[in-house]
Parts: sequence; C-alpha cells; structure tokens
Amino acid sequence: MPETASSAAQHAPVVQVRDMDFCYGSKAALHSIHLDVEYHRVTALIGPSGCGKSTLLRCINRMNDRVAGARVSKGEILVKGKNIHDADVDLTQLRRQVGMVFQKSNPFPKTIYENVAYGLRVHGVKDKTTLDEAVERSLTQAALWDELKDRLQAHALGLSGGQQQRLCIARAIATMPDVLLMDEPCSALDPIATLKIEELIAQLARNYSVVIVTHNMQQAVRVSDFTAFLHLGKLVEFAPTEELFTNPREKLTDSYLRGTFS
Amino acid sequence: MPPASPTTPGPFGSKLLRKSSRSMLGMDPQKIIKTFFGANSGITIVVLVLIMVFLLREGAGFLSTYHHELEVYRKAGLEFCDIADTPLKQQQQLTSALRRAKASAASDEAKRALGDAEEAFETAIEPADEIVSELKTHATETKELANEFHTLEVGRLQLLAAAYSTSDPTRKADLLKEAELSKVDAPNYEERIAAVIDRREELAKALTDYTTVLGTAAVALPDAVADVKTAVPAHIAEVHAAVKKLETWSWQEPVSFFTAARSFFFGTGWITNSSWQDFYGVVPLLTGSLLISLVALLIATPISVSAAIYTNQFASDQEKEIIKPVIEFIQAIPSVVLGFIGIAVVGDLIKGVSQWEILSWIPGFPIQERLNIFNAGFLLAFMAVPTMFSLAEDALNNVPRAYSEASDALGATKLQTVFRVIVPAAISGILAAILLGLGRVIGETMVVLLVAGNRIAIPDFGDGLGVIFQPAHTLTGIIAQELGEVSRGSSHWQALFMVGILLFVISLSVNWCARTIAKRFEHPKA
Repeated sequence: MPETASSAAQHAPVVQVRDMDFCYGSKAALHSIHLDVEYHRVTALIGPSGCGKSTLLRCINRMNDRVAGARVSKGEILVKGKNIHDADVDLTQLRRQVGMVFQKSNPFPKTIYENVAYGLRVHGVKDKTTLDEAVERSLTQAALWDELKDRLQAHALGLSGGQQQRLCIARAIATMPDVLLMDEPCSALDPIATLKIEELIAQLARNYSVVIVTHNMQQAVRVSDFTAFLHLGKLVEFAPTEELFTNPREKLTDSYLRGTFS
Repeated sequence: MPPASPTTPGPFGSKLLRKSSRSMLGMDPQKIIKTFFGANSGITIVVLVLIMVFLLREGAGFLSTYHHELEVYRKAGLEFCDIADTPLKQQQQLTSALRRAKASAASDEAKRALGDAEEAFETAIEPADEIVSELKTHATETKELANEFHTLEVGRLQLLAAAYSTSDPTRKADLLKEAELSKVDAPNYEERIAAVIDRREELAKALTDYTTVLGTAAVALPDAVADVKTAVPAHIAEVHAAVKKLETWSWQEPVSFFTAARSFFFGTGWITNSSWQDFYGVVPLLTGSLLISLVALLIATPISVSAAIYTNQFASDQEKEIIKPVIEFIQAIPSVVLGFIGIAVVGDLIKGVSQWEILSWIPGFPIQERLNIFNAGFLLAFMAVPTMFSLAEDALNNVPRAYSEASDALGATKLQTVFRVIVPAAISGILAAILLGLGRVIGETMVVLLVAGNRIAIPDFGDGLGVIFQPAHTLTGIIAQELGEVSRGSSHWQALFMVGILLFVISLSVNWCARTIAKRFEHPKA
C-alpha cells in the first residue's frame, strides 16, 4: 500500500459532497446531498429504484456530463479537497483519480492485456515494462492474475461473466485511482461470482476508497463500512453500516429496512 | 371497466376477441393471411432461382459452341495463318516507325537513308506476306464451307426431331424426305488443309530468308532510329519461334473443352463480328471492371467511412439532420444523369487539370482521353458513397454504448474513445460496408457504358499508375452494348450470357464475403 499522502490527509474524507442539488434539465434529481467518503473505506449507497443513488455515484466522476442538460445546480463536490467543477479541472485527470465499474461488465472487444492497459495507454504511457507491471499488479489486485496470467493475449469476451466483471475492476484500478465507484457490480452475476466480487471489494478497500451502489441490503451489510440511504433524491440517513442497519435513526430508514415501505 | 376475461367476454369483447367461427373456402382466415405473407417471401426466392436457371441455361451451351468454333479454326487452317501473321504484324509496326522517323528527319540525306531502310524492310517480307494472304483466302473458304455445313446440319437435325415427334404419318414422311434432301457432305478438312500444309516449307523458308535480310539491313540503320534497331533482334527471335511453331503445327491435334474454357477465362482478346475469327476472351473486360471498381473503392472508402464516423460520433443533431438525408439523396440521382455529368463535366475537367504544368509529375498526365477508367471510377465512387456511408454508420451505431461509457470513465478523450474503441469494435461492419459498396460498383452499368471509353483492350500497365487514365471496357458495359445486336442463340449471344454468369458469381461472392465478415464479430446485445 503506497503511503505517500501525509497521515493528516489520510484521515480527511477523500470525496466530500457539499449540499449538492442536481437536475436533468428542469427535472430535479438530487436535493441537498451532503456526504463524506472516508479514506480507504467502503461506502454503500442504498435506496429504492429511482432514488438517485446511481446519479449521485455518477456525479463523482462527472459521468453525467455525457447526458445533455444534466448539471449540478447548487453546492459542490470535492475530490481530495479540489472542486471537480472548477474551470481548471482536467476531466481526464479526474477520471484517472476516480475509477468506475459498471452494472453490466463491459470489457472492450480486445485482448485481456489490452483491456487492462487501456487506461494507461490513453494517458500516454508507452513504456512496455511499466505497462507489464501495471497489468500484473491490477490483475493481482483483482484476483485474476493466477487464473489469467498464461492467456493475457486471449480475447476478453471469451471470459465468464464473473471474470469479465473482475477484469473491468482490474481495468479501473490500473490507473491507480484514489476512489473506485461501483454501480451495482454484482447485479448481473450468479451467487458464486457475486461472492468473489464481494471478497474482492474487501481487499480493494486496503488500497482504494470504494463507493458502491447496491440494491441488495445484505450485500451492503457484508461489504461496507458506511451506508447512505437515499429516498426520492434526498439523503435520508448516512451512518456507519452497523449502526444504520441495527439502530436506524430515521423512521423512513427503518421501514425501508423492514420492507414495510408504503 | 375491467378488461373482459377470456372465459366470460363482455358484449363487445365477444365480437372482437372470439376466433372467427366462419371460414373462407374451408380455411381459417388466420391461416389464409399467414399463407399470403409466406407466399410473398417465397416468390422472391423462386424468382432468384429462376434467374440463375435462365442464366445457366443460356450460357451453358457456350463452351460447346465455342469449342466447335475453335475446332473449325484449327482444322480450316486459320490458326496456322495466325501463327505466321503475328510476326508480319510486328514487321508492319517496325516499318511504320521507320516511316514516322523519315517524316520527321531533318536532313535530306537522313530521309533517303531511312527511305532505303524502309524499302528494304518491305521487300524482304513480300514473299512471306504473299504466301500468308493466299493461305488466308483458302482457309476462309474452308471455314465458310464448315459453317454452311453446320447450319444445314442443325436444320436437318431439327427436321428429324420434328419428324419423330409428329404422329401424322404423311407429315412424318414429308419431313424425313426434306431432311434427306438437305443432307450435304461434311467438308473434307484433310483435302482442304493439304493445300496449306503443302506450302509450309515454302513459308518457313520465306520467313527465314526474311530474317537474314532484316538482320543485315538493321545493322545499316542510322542511330536516329535506335528504338527500331534494338527491336529488330527480338523481332527476329519471334519470327524464328513462329517458324518452329509452324513446323510442329498439326490440324488434327484435338481441341479440348479445357482449351475452350481457358480461352474464355484467360483469353486476352474480345473480338466479335470479325470476318476472320471471333474470340471471346474475357480478360480485357475483367481488367477494365476491376480497375474501375478499384479506383471507385479507393475514392469512396475514405470519404464514406470518415463521413460515417463524423456523423455518428461528432456531429450535432442538427448536423446529422442535414448530412444523412443529403448523402442518401445521392442515391436518387439516376445513373444515366451521372453519365451526362461524367461526359460533359468531369471528363473535360480532368483533361484540363491534367494539362497544368505543376501536375505533370502525376503518372499519365497530361491525359489523352476524356473518357477513361478514372472518370468512370470517380462517378461510381459517388454512387457507392450512400451505400457505404449508411452501412458504416449502422455499424458504428451498433457498437454498444457500454464501450464508450467504459472508455470515458477511464479518462479517454473523445478522439481516443472513437479511434481506440468504437472504430475497432465496428471494423467488421465497416469492412462489410466497403465490400457491399464494391458489389454495387461492380454491377453498375450505365455510368461505365457512357464514361469508361469502351475500348476493348487490356490497359497498358507499362504506364504504371497512369493506367487509370486509359479508356477501358467492362463486363457490364459489354452486355448492355452488344446483347441487343447479336442474333439469339449464336455463340456471341451465349458468350454474353457467360459474361453475365461471371458477373453474377463475382457479385455473389463479394456479398457472401461481406456477410461472413459482418457475422464474424457480432456484438453482445447490450
């Protein structure tokens, strides 16, 4: 684990969402979100469908820029203390700092090696040794190295669904991001592949700060240190996972957890 | 109102939902509708099969007809004359080169020297020339006899066939009698060819003598005509080779079907309606078609693929709304109108441009012919662009959004995403689009007929890239031009159908390749 940051900075939240409003055109999607993502911890976002948890996740690496008319209308998001909407922020650098894994595994139709090396290549890394090292490190961290080290030149679409998703994780961490965003990474996987990914998330938290969106509350309990519950675009409750699940402060959280949602 | 349940339909539901209790012609109406749609799709397949059968039926007779013609060509001695004729034609070229040199010579002395040389060339060949032209007359007579016999024989066989199929005994007797009357003897090739064979020695000697005279005359040639001087030894060698060929030539050597097929597929001359001998060699047409298609493809591919990439990936919605319909509109231009443009505008334009001094480095410039391969290729490229553009754009559109999303999330710029992920992912579709554009170009007729120049000869590849500024003829053009004028069922007619079959096979294989490539990498549904 690289210990470059000072220990003081280590304890500062790596992502700070400050009183943020977000809207798609004229339709407001998030209201006054206030949330801190702790350094090297797993933060889970839970809530019913359409509550805005994926939107919130996609705000952190500005993936919502792809959508026409989507914008932050109030407040700000800081990544390592820097407002990501500042004019001098380079989007490619931001996305290098904040990696992302999608709901459905989406490896490129290239070789396994090229998939993992892609992020470095687009950032101009050409040196073969650097690339080789990064590929090995990322695949090892994604628990794929032992399975795949002998067929790095095989086509990525020939892997199983679980392997493909772990490959996508390896691809996302190849650029050594500070934050790793995961948008329901297990929703398309079978229970065994899901279990592997969950184990992996726990290991990843040693090196990265993870934000995970999940619709599966058991999963949130299993993998996360902190949990945020969103409802209708509002952050209802944000607390350490154990506390939120055993002793929720809000009535709404309680009824959601019990499944007695009106 | 709650929807009517299937078991207890309401008053309206019962009218709308129940299966019709009536039947038309004893069949369930649903079944009739299904049959109607099925039949329509069946019809297209049947029509395609009929087209193939028709083409094959008309073309199938070609090989045997052509085989027969080549047999007569050999037996009547025409082939013999052609072997001797080749060096004579070369001699004519050499003499006319000398004549041109004489006309442009500066001094009277040089003029006289060249005039003497020309005369020496002419007199040397005279004896051989005379023999060949006599033999040619004789061979042509034999061929006419053979053709006459063939025509009568075919008619007789038809009469006999009619006689055997009729049931009326008197009519049958009449027909048989008629057939008997029209019976003639087959020409006696052996007797006729003897006259040719007899003069073989004489001809060989005349040709050998000619080479001796030529050899000495060439030494005396002035340096002003160095090209003729250097060409002479090669010419002499050719004459010797021809003499050797004449000595071993035999009229009895059988002509195989393989020879007929080879002389169609690899024959270098497409010579029709000639008083001497018709040849149906497809190579000049095939080269013309391929060169034109290649030029068209080289022009159309970059334009349409980059237009597709721009439209699909970079253009704003308003731009898309302009670009797409405009490019698709090109398809609506009738090809004959494009032909006008080729003749009236593009031809003059490229000829004018080729005369610019600064462009003289381009091979083939300045060009002689307004109507040429490049002109046709240019217009065909224009016609292929809409097909290639639409298909390439579809291919890019089919790339799952997840790929570009993943690439974006890794911090790639738009250009990096397009050229490292999207285009590689769509490459099979883009290749298929290019191939289908090629299929469109190869089959196009009207433009090439009007604009390609229609010279039936293999373009001279000695010009290097300048070859594309020569006129050419094409597989499609020749059919359109000649099919209306040939008599039905003749060898020429059949040859054109063979060209049609060849064209069909080429188009079919191009399309098949395109389909295979497109299927090779299908995207996971996303």
